[in-house]
Amino acid sequence: MGNTRVVNVLRFDPTVDEDPYYQAYDVPVVEDQSVLDVLDYIHDNLDGSLAYYGHAACHQGVCRRCLVIVNGKPSLACQTKVTGDLTLEPPDKLSVVRDLVFEKRTDRLPDGRGDA
Amino acid sequence: MTERLQTDVLVVGGGGAGFRAAIGAREKGAEVTLVTKGPVARSGASPMAGADLTTHGQGMRAAGFFGEPRDSEETFLNDILHQGCYLNDQRLAEIYVRESPDRLLEMVEWGIKVSFTDERAVFTSGTSIMSTLHRQARQMGVNIVGDTAVLDLLVEDGRVAGALALDLRTGGFLAFDSKAVVLATGGWHRAYTPVTGSRELSGDGVAMALRAGAELANMEFVTFCNNVVYWPPMHAGSIFTYVLGLLCGGVLENSDGERVFAKYDPDMVAHASRTEWNKCFISYISAKEIQAGKGSPHDGVFYRVGDEPFEEFAERVRHHYPGWKYHSVDFSMVAEKLASGEGVEVGPAAEYFEGGVAVNERYEATVPGLFAAGECASSPFGANRVAAATMEMLVTGAKAGWSAAEYAEDAVSAAVDVAAAVEAATEPLRRDSGVAPAEVRRRLQAATQKNLGPIRTENDLKAYLSLLDDMKAAEITQLATRAQTRRYNMEWIEALDLRNMVQVLEASARAALARTESRGVHYRADNPTTDNEGWLKELIVRLNGGEFTIGTRPVNVTLASPPQGRRPYLAYIQQMMQGHSDIGGHH
Repeated sequence: MGNTRVVNVLRFDPTVDEDPYYQAYDVPVVEDQSVLDVLDYIHDNLDGSLAYYGHAACHQGVCRRCLVIVNGKPSLACQTKVTGDLTLEPPDKLSVVRDLVFEKRTDRLPDGRGDA
Repeated sequence: MTERLQTDVLVVGGGGAGFRAAIGAREKGAEVTLVTKGPVARSGASPMAGADLTTHGQGMRAAGFFGEPRDSEETFLNDILHQGCYLNDQRLAEIYVRESPDRLLEMVEWGIKVSFTDERAVFTSGTSIMSTLHRQARQMGVNIVGDTAVLDLLVEDGRVAGALALDLRTGGFLAFDSKAVVLATGGWHRAYTPVTGSRELSGDGVAMALRAGAELANMEFVTFCNNVVYWPPMHAGSIFTYVLGLLCGGVLENSDGERVFAKYDPDMVAHASRTEWNKCFISYISAKEIQAGKGSPHDGVFYRVGDEPFEEFAERVRHHYPGWKYHSVDFSMVAEKLASGEGVEVGPAAEYFEGGVAVNERYEATVPGLFAAGECASSPFGANRVAAATMEMLVTGAKAGWSAAEYAEDAVSAAVDVAAAVEAATEPLRRDSGVAPAEVRRRLQAATQKNLGPIRTENDLKAYLSLLDDMKAAEITQLATRAQTRRYNMEWIEALDLRNMVQVLEASARAALARTESRGVHYRADNPTTDNEGWLKELIVRLNGGEFTIGTRPVNVTLASPPQGRRPYLAYIQQMMQGHSDIGGHH
């Protein structure tokens, strides 16, 4: 152990930044962690300014608001096991609130399933 | 710039209680706005619930299900009072028993998905409950505002006249001028670790009510779900292993490989293993192992398959959860740890808060214009909850919504000045340097789990209260965000949450310190007796000019007299278990 992995996060504050940019973080390797656990580590220990849908995340695959592009693939951060270096991007670059948080249409059910 | 919005009834909180309250107020003709801090229809603890809706056998039959014919209102009430160790407000328990059949029937009519039933419960899912309520609320014309945190109640002439809120996406403030407010903000799960509910559950409504002068009741009682995942971290906070234990068996072992159940009376273990008494009893015996230094590496106990071959166990799991999928989440990581014999580290995790805003039969708080429902109101369950909180949220939500709409008919709204509150809320953004909110929150969570968990002592509670004092004096007032942006600034949100958590935790710890007996989910290692001579009373906490005051009031006994005398903690629990009727099922 004692290893770290590199986590690249696409960051953007539409009120301040002209363009999105990648920021890299070195995160200690912990077995059986999810992408959300890694984002929590960065926010709590390295950079409190990082924005991802954390304030009301369920961590259990239910609220589906931690949707993020992990190494090119849309994934729920809380249900995606980390196995190596990560590149994290918002799922919809046109509706970014800040960093990985994106605007969600609220007239649809958050899970997008045909329940309504 | 603060935007002002008007509504008759403002509902704060978007779990099941909030949605049912909003529907209830619309049913009485009020204009209703519901504000939720998290995702619309996926906020709070409700979406994560198992979930079952409980009522008595007659109520089950009325809704078209099989119900135990011998069951009745009186029998169900008898069982709820025994489960609550006779600390229940019997007026509230009676409302739960009498009104649960109607709430079940309407949920069936509104299209809830039913997976199976038992003698007293319809099993569905938290997401099905929330989708059903959300659809109904939309059809009835409830205004719904998501990702918006309510920060404080607005009070004018001693009555509640609205609330100040923050749109978390833009950082803009919203002032809601309303004639009545229903609080439905749930518990303070976030103050513990691991967190079983959504992370926005930081006791906001209870803290706001306290600051507005309302009384809180039963704050010392917290139900810990047993067998919640501590490790692996990816599933921390999940109740999947709890559900496995209930439906498929398995054993709990300490770090010496001793079976935890083997140390206790087999009858109690059997009763606690097949009903939701497990949350009280198994959390207590798990915490005893952890406190005795026989815990797992991450301060839990080991959940393992036991003596049978893994394949036989897995066969049962596959019957209930094909592919090890529970509510569409893949738990193959848990399967691997059980198959290898390593086991999963599990333990007690805060799941349900019996205490909260003190309410009368109308679910009205002690401040005019203020109502409360669901977990943030004090519960009908007394010292221990076994019947479903998902039914409680529907019964109490409807009640609070109706009452708020009736109150609003004769009330007028006022545009309370919010400039000072807005100024105070933005302080963490404006400090150049200070304390990082996440760092304080992590220390708070660890201390709360240790000192305000299933096992309490005077020494621990005093040390914990002094930690809270230090935090209030030196840290909560000095919280600072790294970024100054108002757009979805998580450190800012955490700073605002922390103020609420610390206040609610102080109320809870003061009540736990004052209750010098053990009862239900409140066990005092230094006072291990249940005392029906001295302690058949509720503790009432208030905030008076910044100082906490604590008083008592007798339990409302309207229907059934509690047993007399004093008994050792476990002997009293056994007496309560034996007082349960012979109606089967998990409740």
